[in-house]
Amino acid sequence: MRKYQRLQMHRIPYTDLTEAQMSEALRPTASGPVSRSALSNVLAGRQLRIVTDGGPVLEYRFRNARELELAENGGRPIRAGYGALEDRSLVLVSHMIPGTQRGYKLIVDQHTGLATVFEVYFSGYAPQEIAAAREAGREPQFRNGRRNREAQRRIWFGYVDRGGPAPTARHTYTNRLEGKGIYWKQDDDIEILEFYLSIIYSNFIELTRFGGELTVCAPSDYIMVNDHQFIYSRIECEFSGIFTLQVIDLFDMTERGVRLGLNEKDELEYSMYTGRGEITGQIATFEVFGNNGETRGPRRVYRPLETFEVMTDEQVRDAVLNKAHAFGDGKGSGAQGMGGYKSELVTHFAGRKLTVRMDDGGPVIEYEFVDARKLRWRYEGDSHWREAWYEMYEPDDRLYFFAHLLDAEFPRSCAMVAFDMKNGLATLVKGTTGSPFRNNETTVKYYFGVLEMEGAPTPPTYLRHGWTDEMVGECVTWNYQPGNPGLTSMHFYATPSAYSWIIFQPDGSGGMQWSSPGWYAKLRDGVYLMSWIEEACNGTLGVICFNQRTMHDAGFGYHVGSRGLSLSVIGARARHAGRFEIRKYLGLKV
Amino acid sequence: MSGMRARSTRREFFAKGGAILGAGVASAVGVSSAVAAGTRSGEEELMRLRRELDHAKEREAIRGVHLAFAAQIESRSYDALAELFDEGAMVNLSGVSATGKAGIRRLFAEQYREQTAAVLHCAYRPNARQSEDAVTIADDCTQATAILHVDVQLGVPLQDDCTAAQMARLQGQLADCRWESGRLEARYVKSAGEWKIASLIYPAG
Repeated sequence: MRKYQRLQMHRIPYTDLTEAQMSEALRPTASGPVSRSALSNVLAGRQLRIVTDGGPVLEYRFRNARELELAENGGRPIRAGYGALEDRSLVLVSHMIPGTQRGYKLIVDQHTGLATVFEVYFSGYAPQEIAAAREAGREPQFRNGRRNREAQRRIWFGYVDRGGPAPTARHTYTNRLEGKGIYWKQDDDIEILEFYLSIIYSNFIELTRFGGELTVCAPSDYIMVNDHQFIYSRIECEFSGIFTLQVIDLFDMTERGVRLGLNEKDELEYSMYTGRGEITGQIATFEVFGNNGETRGPRRVYRPLETFEVMTDEQVRDAVLNKAHAFGDGKGSGAQGMGGYKSELVTHFAGRKLTVRMDDGGPVIEYEFVDARKLRWRYEGDSHWREAWYEMYEPDDRLYFFAHLLDAEFPRSCAMVAFDMKNGLATLVKGTTGSPFRNNETTVKYYFGVLEMEGAPTPPTYLRHGWTDEMVGECVTWNYQPGNPGLTSMHFYATPSAYSWIIFQPDGSGGMQWSSPGWYAKLRDGVYLMSWIEEACNGTLGVICFNQRTMHDAGFGYHVGSRGLSLSVIGARARHAGRFEIRKYLGLKV
Repeated sequence: MSGMRARSTRREFFAKGGAILGAGVASAVGVSSAVAAGTRSGEEELMRLRRELDHAKEREAIRGVHLAFAAQIESRSYDALAELFDEGAMVNLSGVSATGKAGIRRLFAEQYREQTAAVLHCAYRPNARQSEDAVTIADDCTQATAILHVDVQLGVPLQDDCTAAQMARLQGQLADCRWESGRLEARYVKSAGEWKIASLIYPAG
């Protein structure tokens, strides 16, 4: 059953718990995880000595199916509750060390004797940040608290010491899951869509816990056991900080997992689970052949909540009134940033008039295009003309898209207008500074309607541009700049109200990613008006008119920051990376 | 280095440092033959031989400084880089320049780490003109110059400040990345028993 939340993950004010609060919250983990599925007793009565490369030596004695003894590096043994689940010859073990905020997740292959060890711990963010700040010669930043609730992990590869020569093989990092999407239904009735679009991050759509409106991203690890069994883990950094680890078996599409951390209500979740999956798709990957992601480098964490430049009312007011710039103030927006492949500027409307008339009491705006970059506009019925800089592009034949700033007031808005000279339809996207959460975010409103212009066709009475879910599941790379590799990202249009972007690493593998709400309107077959707001990230509104035939776009970015308010151009070249068939899981018509 | 009395060698300095020492030993054998022939006094020849061996050791030490510089550039260990330079050093890499150790530290910490420089040196490789490399060490072994032929990987940083560019920069992504052939013109000084870079110039192509 879908459970919508009042606040999405990126809006939840997670409690900044102290170390003492974390210790108290984690105390019940001493007895091991809960599980709906029967836990395995395969290790009961056995002893394992796990040797890791550069990490700990762990000597286990499994007293029974739920209790173990562990000696770390020859130290004094401790007792702890544990849980284990089997997948063929693999055993997934999870336990914490009582009286501490740390524990181990083991993946042991009883057949090969290889083992991967995750040491998972809490209250570890602040020391890392302090060390990183010292290294970089800056002050540590705790703008969003000390994040004691955020799980941390260390990973070691190793083997079970059986007394003979140590095996030379190891489990390895991998890109062999990259590009894959899986729908999971867990034994605890949780349904989730996961997308492995990067080798250090992943997307997921919480169908049950959050209703499936948005996709969110988390730094992730992917480890290859063999060609069909993989270890996947993620930490919900910037959100609850919950740790998830799963053993994925692609032969029978099953998973064995563990979830550990505190949810948005600060309630402990420590459970093991099994699940059954369905592949939703496999999109393209962009590494050269032979690159298997085994030497992937460090897994970085993108922290937009930490780096977001929060501004006061007064600062935003000053920016939007005194530091507002559109398209280089008439000098042209240049080809930097996201506009490196902008199309030819449309100038032939200079000297002509246009009225866009939105339905249902929406704006009616009259235009006079003074020249190629300057227009005059006024609301219908208003005698006062205002001047504004604009840029106009033609993303499809006789379909035009232009933008300009609206009145110099606080909050301040812009208008982005798509008008179709083949059928008389128009859509106005209005971006406005400020949201209920941050002054320097933007909000967006779509209006559908018609246009009036000399020589334009009579518009239809009932037909309009409108909302669409046709793009759901599509993945498209966008190259914003010439050069090798240039500025390139991949868009994943995840739900009718969300999207995610993936930034490629220098070797072409997927790297860091983030997500935001998104909105999709259909202008013509294969031509869409897509917008997003980088909520809790940098607040920008981006709107692109995406032509799937030319695989090109024309668009605009609207942003307010300490350097002022800007309206700029977006123009990029696209490649189709693939599509996930996820409509049925989102409740959309298939 | 004006007025510096020096010995110059042309060697494949970058990648084959071992060969330098080998050449020194080989020349020692030749010297022994000359002594035997009675062309110089034995003491003179021994002094010359000692100088040659000293210079071979110095060349190896200078090579170590240069390899450290190249390795730290490639691994982006920018904090450690400044320690390779003398207090009054200057650096100019494809037009991105700084003077003084503190300035060089700032250059690498800010312009390189934050990718605000117009162009970055990302890696070096010895190239086909390596045999033309020349290292000249002053007789008193306190100063040296070197011409080192290299291929350099030039990176042009992403200049934009949009979210995608910020994220790409965090991952070390560049707007453009290409290799070009050129040469490093280096000057070294020995201070407190350690060779430091006194100037390092890679002329802009």
